[in-house]
Order: sequence, then C-alpha cells, then structure tokens
Amino acid sequence: MQFDLTILGPYLGFLGQGAVLTAVICLLSLAGAVVLGMLVAIARTSQTAWIRRLAFIYVDVFRNIPFIVQLFFFYYGLPEIGIYIDAITTGVIALSIAGGAYASDAIRSGILAIDNGILEAAEVSGLSKRITFTRIVLPIALRTSVRPLGSVLINMILTSSILSTITVNELTGQAKIVASDTFRPFEVYAVLLVVYAALTWLVSIGISHLHKHLNRDLASEAA
Amino acid sequence: MLKVENVKKAFGAATVLDGVNLTVSPGEVVSILGSSGSGKSTLIRCINGLEKLNGGRIAIDDFDVAKPKELAEARKRSATVFQLFNLYPHMTTLQNIALAPVEVLKRPRAEVEQEARALLASVGLSDKVDAYPAHLSGGQRQRVGICRALAMKPRYLLLDEVTSALDPEMTAEVLAILAKLAREGTTMLFVTHEVEFARQISNRIVFLDKGVLLVDLPTEEFFAASGGLAQPRIAQFLSKMKKD
Ligand SMILES: Nc1ncnc2c1ncn2[C@@H]1O[C@H](COP(=O)(O)OP(=O)(O)OP(=O)(O)O)[C@@H](O)[C@H]1O
Ligand SMILES: [Mg+2]
Repeated sequence: MQFDLTILGPYLGFLGQGAVLTAVICLLSLAGAVVLGMLVAIARTSQTAWIRRLAFIYVDVFRNIPFIVQLFFFYYGLPEIGIYIDAITTGVIALSIAGGAYASDAIRSGILAIDNGILEAAEVSGLSKRITFTRIVLPIALRTSVRPLGSVLINMILTSSILSTITVNELTGQAKIVASDTFRPFEVYAVLLVVYAALTWLVSIGISHLHKHLNRDLASEAA
Repeated sequence: MLKVENVKKAFGAATVLDGVNLTVSPGEVVSILGSSGSGKSTLIRCINGLEKLNGGRIAIDDFDVAKPKELAEARKRSATVFQLFNLYPHMTTLQNIALAPVEVLKRPRAEVEQEARALLASVGLSDKVDAYPAHLSGGQRQRVGICRALAMKPRYLLLDEVTSALDPEMTAEVLAILAKLAREGTTMLFVTHEVEFARQISNRIVFLDKGVLLVDLPTEEFFAASGGLAQPRIAQFLSKMKKD
C-alpha cells in the first residue's frame, strides 16, 4: 500500500471542523478549570476545616481516577439517575472538573509563593481580606502560574481526544470517521499525530510568550 | 496619642517584650534603639496589629489594637514603612500608593492619584509614576514605600529599619526625606541602627534591651554622660555602634 496524503484532500474541511471543536472545547474547559481551580485553591486555605477537607478530597479524587472513567460516569452513568447532559457539554464539564484539580494545584503554589511581607503590607494598610485577595494575591498568583496552567491546557488538548468515545466529533472523532470512510487509517492517523504535536507545540510557545509578557515587570523584589 | 502599656509578648517559651511602656504624642519623633534581637521589630509589629499581645494594651488615639473593630480604626491612623519595602510587585508606583486610600479610606481615585503624584514629586520620583518596583533601585523603592505610607495621611508613621537594606548612598537619600518629614512635624516611631541620624531628628530616644525598655529620655539626655550613657548596656551599645 502506498502512503498517499492526497486522498485526504476532500476531508480537510471536515477535519478542520473537528479541530475547531477541539479548540472551543479546550478553551471553555480551560476557563472552567481555572475558575474551579481558583475556588478550590481558596477553599484549601479556608479557616473552616470541612471546606478545606472537601477541597482536598476533590483534588485527590479527580487526580486518581482515569479520565475515561469520569467521562463515562457523567455520560452513561448520570442518565440512570435522570440527569441528561448532551455530549459536548458533558465533555466540557468533565474536562473542567479534571483540569480544575490540576489548576488548583498550580494556583495554590502561586499563592503560597507570594512574599509574606507583601501580604503584611496589605493587612497593615487596612485592606480587607477580599480586596487583598482580588487585587494582590490572585493577580500575582495567576501571573506566576501561567506556565503550570499552560501544562494543564496542553494536557486538556491531549485528553480531549477521549471525548470521541462519547460521540463528540472533535478532531479525533472526525478523524475516526474519515478513517472508516476512506479505509486509509494509516494516512489519517499519521496526519492526526502531526496535528496534535503541532497544536501542543504552538500552544506551549504561546504560553512562553504570555508568561514573559505578564511577568516582565515582576522580577525579584529584593534590593 | 499612641500608647503602649505594659506590653508583653512571647514566642513559645521566649519572652520577647517584657512589660514595655511607651507613649508617642502627635508631633514627636521617637527613635527606638537596641541591639539585634532586643524586640524592636516585634514592638512595631504589635503596634500595627501583626502580632497578638500576650499582655498589656496598645491603643492608637484610644483605639485598642487588640479589638478587631478598633484595630481597623487604629490602622487608619498609623502607617508602616518596612525594611524590605514590601511593594506590590504587579502594580506601578502610582497604583501601589493609590490602592489603600481608594479601597480603605474610600476616597475618590482622581484626587488620590493627584496626591500620589505630588508625593512622588516631593521625593524626586516624578518620572517613576508608571514604573514597576522591579525597575527601581532600592532607594527609589523605599521612597515609594514612604509615599505609600504617607498617602494614608497617618497620624503616626511607624518605621522599622527602613534603610538597613540599602547601600550608603541610597540610605542618605531616604534619610534626607525622613529628616524633612521630621521637620514638617510628622509623628514618627522610628526603629533604627543609624544612631547619629536618630540623634539629629528625634525628640526622644528609647532603648530596648532583651525586651525591656531600659530608658526613655529626651535625645540630649540620652546622649549625656549622666543620662543614658550612665547605663552600662547603653554605653556599650553606643561604643559598639561607633566602631561599626
Ligand atoms: N515569629 C517569631 N517566632 C519566634 N521568634 C521570634 C519571632 N519573631 C521574632 N522572634 C524572636 O524575638 C526576638 C526579638 O526579635 P525582633 O525581630 O523583634 O528583634 P529586633 O530588635 O528587631 O532585632 P534586629 O535589630 O535584628 O531587627 C528575637 O530573639 C527573635 O528571634
Ligand atoms: Mg528588627
């Protein structure tokens, strides 16, 4: 059999649609994961023991269950108790929840890395806990955790391919269809390999730039 | 008045402040001297509410710092300048200065920013309004730190070794600003190792030794042979500082 990429020509638009869906799902899930990660990171520093514990359990549990099992539980399990969610929404929710566990770690280390003197300056000047958090802690923590959050995004792009198992026709889902239409799985998946590699490579370059840009003014504060 | 009454503070088994009494009246400059570990920073941190007292009472204009509701009021009346500046690294100098007046005192932003610019101009930093702390020298950062404290229009300015992290040249530029503030009648409680400078600007000098306030004297008397110098601990401290 000959390696012939031209047979994919007619399917490029179709694969492109899948890539767009992958991008949309990942960006929505990233937003979800960061918001969730922020809330959980806050919860983990809460004064209240049971809130701390709940947050800790969430992080621990979702990092220790295979993503596909979480996904199947949401998509095939929940309808059994009367909760129906469409496939794409399920995918975004599952990716957000799984990503949130990792994002909370990234944001939490960003928070813990903040110089205590800065927090004392804020406290002494009378700033409320809420203002200190929203205007000082969070902006610094988000800036310093751009790279680890970038890793969360990259993992999400890779993991999103699993959504094809619950009928979401993102990039991998579309590729499966093309492969069975053309009987040319070798070409199709070879292209898929390259596309995912290129995608994550581009994203990681973007993250490096974003990190540099956001942290340009944040060099060491010591004299 | 800023009143420290019989304050006790311990970390675990170690007593760090042992019955300290001190009063600072509006318009006074009071310097705190004492060797390393004598409890100077701890005293400042008790006054601004960063440390809880184990005994005694601290009140700023009659607001008791041990009571959460009154602490907020006490903190509006005092401001702290830190040894390591502690500027907010993600904010420009202007934002650093304007944050608390806007958020805590609820003053209009435009007015606060105008004052912040004037403050920066008064310490020779007009051209650094939009600079980030990382792009400033140590002396410039500390000048911003002083502006940030002054922007709160505090009745009492607390300063803890604000020049210790600076080289001599930068130290001079910061001390010049503090001298000017002292002349203008700013009330200051000033922890320092700069004995000569303390002598120039202070109305009174107190000496802490192992958590005990040994003397509290007008500056002249503190340096008089019959006054502070009559205490062996103080004579020893001063002669050691001269040698350094
Ligand atoms: N958070 C803390 N936990 C335990 N011990 C502490 C703490 N803070 C201060 N101490 C101890 O309290 C004593 C007084 O410390 P403090 O920082 O007040 O001294 P200082 O007079 O400011 O010294 P220096 O001139 O070196 O700044 C020291 O023995 C110090 O080790
Ligand atoms: Mg100290």
